[in-house]
Amino acid sequence: MTVTTNWEVLADPDPVFAVAEDLFTTMIDGEPGHLMRWYGERPAILHPTYTWVDVVGAGDEARVLISMGRDTGEDLARILFDLEDDAPVAETDFADAVGELVNVVGGNVKSLVTHPGALTMPEVSDEMPTLADASPVVDACVTWRGALLCVSLWVLNEDPSSRS
Amino acid sequence: MKALVIDDSRVMRRIVGGILTDVGFDVVEAGDGKEALDRLEEHDDVQLCCIDWNMPVMTGFEFVVEARKRDEWRDITLMMVTTEGEQNQIVRALAAGAHEYVIKPFTPDIIIDKLQFLGLVEAKETL
Repeated sequence: MTVTTNWEVLADPDPVFAVAEDLFTTMIDGEPGHLMRWYGERPAILHPTYTWVDVVGAGDEARVLISMGRDTGEDLARILFDLEDDAPVAETDFADAVGELVNVVGGNVKSLVTHPGALTMPEVSDEMPTLADASPVVDACVTWRGALLCVSLWVLNEDPSSRS
Repeated sequence: MKALVIDDSRVMRRIVGGILTDVGFDVVEAGDGKEALDRLEEHDDVQLCCIDWNMPVMTGFEFVVEARKRDEWRDITLMMVTTEGEQNQIVRALAAGAHEYVIKPFTPDIIIDKLQFLGLVEAKETL
């Protein structure tokens, strides 16, 4: 049986923003109001880090991608690991923390559509993943403590070998 | 009281473990379902398992199915703590033997409320 995943319902960034806001309110800041939507042209993210999960195995496959500056990722990792503000962040802890963020966002985004499939393990890289032939559904940015984070959702093509 | 926190994310084990420690649990950890089965073999006094769904090696759902095959573990409370929020996934987990279901992200109060409902910690006094 062929199933269709209606990722297009997420073309409106409101649900994705709501997921991100819930995550930051509950697990990062402990209160609402620190995450602001970014409107207009976005500045380049310095020393970017990319973290993503794919939704695979049923219907149209998709990728949820978060991009942020390395410094922002380290700040988030310090909060999640309850480290001092200037404490060094081990590479494994950095990947664990930012990977878990995209895992939570991806899982919640997945739950908003029908026939979504399964989440892959989070991946983290300082290189933008290849999105050959992928179609963007939503690409929204927020600021957190003045730093830009962008969340995007891509419907992937049918050839997994063209992905990274 | 002893709890087993099963999640491939170290930061999530730290967060869930911290909440459980604060309400009086001794906490042991496992990074996937298979490791969790090993922990249960080692610790025969575990009363609660908090279980992520998506993990390498053995998923949380597979762990629930395996754990429920063992009579000696039938009194252990199994609580999913996962990003899997679809209704059919929740139903699958509960049908397989999980007692409760928490969707990430969560606050400490959400976890504690579930533990109170399950009778694993005392209910907060109300004024």
